[in-house]
Amino acid sequence: MLAIKAESLSKTYMGEAAPVTVFQNLDFDLEESVFAGVRGPSGVGKSTLLHLLGGIDRPDAGRVEIFGVSLADLSARDRARFRNERIGFVFQFHHLLPEFTAEENVAFPHRIAGVSARDARRRAGELLDRVGLADRRSHLSRSLSGGEQQRVAIARALARGPSLLLADEPTGNLDSESARGVFDLLTELHRERGMTTVLVTHNPELAKRCDKIFDMSREGILPATRFSG
Amino acid sequence: MSFETLVALRYLAASRRRAHVALISTISMLGLAVGVAALIISLSLLSGFQDRIRAQMAERSPHLRVSPARGPILADPDRVREALAALNGAVAVEPAIEGRGWASGSGLESTLPIRYRNGPAGELAAPPGSGPPPARVSSAVATRTRTAPGDVLRVTSSRTRLSPLGPLPVTVVFRIAEIRHAAVLEKTPDIEVPENAARLLSGLPSGARAYEARLANPARAELAARAVSILLGPGYRVQTWRELNAPLSFALRLEKGVIFATVALVIVVAALNIVSNIALTVVEKKRDLGVLTSLGATPGSLARIYLTLGAVIGALGTTLGVLVGVSASLFLDRYEIVTLPADVYLLTHVPFAVHPREVAFVAAFALATAVAAAALPARAAARLAPGEAIRLSR
Repeated sequence: MLAIKAESLSKTYMGEAAPVTVFQNLDFDLEESVFAGVRGPSGVGKSTLLHLLGGIDRPDAGRVEIFGVSLADLSARDRARFRNERIGFVFQFHHLLPEFTAEENVAFPHRIAGVSARDARRRAGELLDRVGLADRRSHLSRSLSGGEQQRVAIARALARGPSLLLADEPTGNLDSESARGVFDLLTELHRERGMTTVLVTHNPELAKRCDKIFDMSREGILPATRFSG
Repeated sequence: MSFETLVALRYLAASRRRAHVALISTISMLGLAVGVAALIISLSLLSGFQDRIRAQMAERSPHLRVSPARGPILADPDRVREALAALNGAVAVEPAIEGRGWASGSGLESTLPIRYRNGPAGELAAPPGSGPPPARVSSAVATRTRTAPGDVLRVTSSRTRLSPLGPLPVTVVFRIAEIRHAAVLEKTPDIEVPENAARLLSGLPSGARAYEARLANPARAELAARAVSILLGPGYRVQTWRELNAPLSFALRLEKGVIFATVALVIVVAALNIVSNIALTVVEKKRDLGVLTSLGATPGSLARIYLTLGAVIGALGTTLGVLVGVSASLFLDRYEIVTLPADVYLLTHVPFAVHPREVAFVAAFALATAVAAAALPARAAARLAPGEAIRLSR
């Protein structure tokens, strides 16, 4: 089964002066358990593509199926539950909630799913151990370094054991050493958990380490080129 | 604690670090507190006066009155008297003998239509020796007939008696024993006379137009009225002192309603502050809303975060307002801070009475208004496009 099947996606935003068309008739398929990299110049709609694949934005036309489930056919509530259980997001700027500790941030997906506070904290603690931040549990997220914040964000994305991880330039804002560390963590977790991962990156070195790479441009998204794994 | 409540409380606690939000939060909370306190103090002031008026009403008017459903006099007065006397807590049972007539002073220069009735037994005792029987008149009658205590007042009944000269009106001369000041809407007779004089004027040697009872506890009048109705069956009209003074009771309730509606506007204005406070937080936390959506939060739970925030601000403001309002009212009443000229108002100070039910109503109103105010920005939060919120917050 395909993990992702996106057909004829079109998306236009209302710009300040005029509507801005991000892409039109974009197709994108991805098999299960693949670690895919997406690269391309700024403004071609890489982030938008991830948002459409994750169901936090709707395409103007076309359809998205994740593991055979058409996102458009789900109600808002079901789509939210599907996101909570099956999809993990990692953003470029970590987007942790600054008023909360690392542990509380990682516990959010569980709390949203209705898991008790105590249980959610325990599970969050285990994940923070896994990403190497056992001693940072009770730190407010804003007091952590950039690399640490991104590790917390990865732990949060993986909290519910998603089958699909969507990572939008997770290393884009980090120094090269932290970037490598975060990327290594992502690839390890990808293998450990047998997820499907889509990673948007500008870093050619890191892109080479993906199972598949897609080049995105104004014309669309190029057929996959296989790299040695 | 649900995650919505957790987020709402943390936003409120963390707003201390964002000076402008903290200021607006504090202003909206204090605004609500001021409104709640003002409303409680106004209602306590009004209740203070109204409680006294009601107490007077309960003291002056009979607590229960049984009259025939039809016709001028009771068909079986003894049965009614016994039914009332058998009531648990009945202090006195008296017949009501009343009618209409005309009153004039000694000068006969002005004749005034009046209502007369028998006064409470024992209160209008005839003076020792002979002379006209005593009467208690309302201040309005005294003024218009130009009479004072000790003067003579002539009351002519609408009833006539047959004389050798033809029908003659029945007239009784009274000596004014007391002039009574009544509230404008109080339903009291113009002239109260001894029972035998009233019987003479109305031509009712026995029986009564109605029977009235006073109870040890006027608050139980409704209960007693039901008991009497059941006992007597149909054919009788049983009224409580509240029903007898319905216009005054209505005026008091109306007064309270108008004061509530007016002062409650302060709470509504404070609620507008809450709208802007929460709207500001929605804008500031737009990115968080997008992130929570990406983690699986539904639009409904995003809205609940802000409704909870409104409820928390509302609860804090309301609690503060209730504390200030109730303690100020109790303090003003206990230490008689606001004095009144006793010769004008018959009271030496402004009374305040805190009624727990009113306080509870004000608190519920304030809380509901705060939550309703939060509903508008909460709806906006629920409708937020999460992808856009994240995209624009880079």
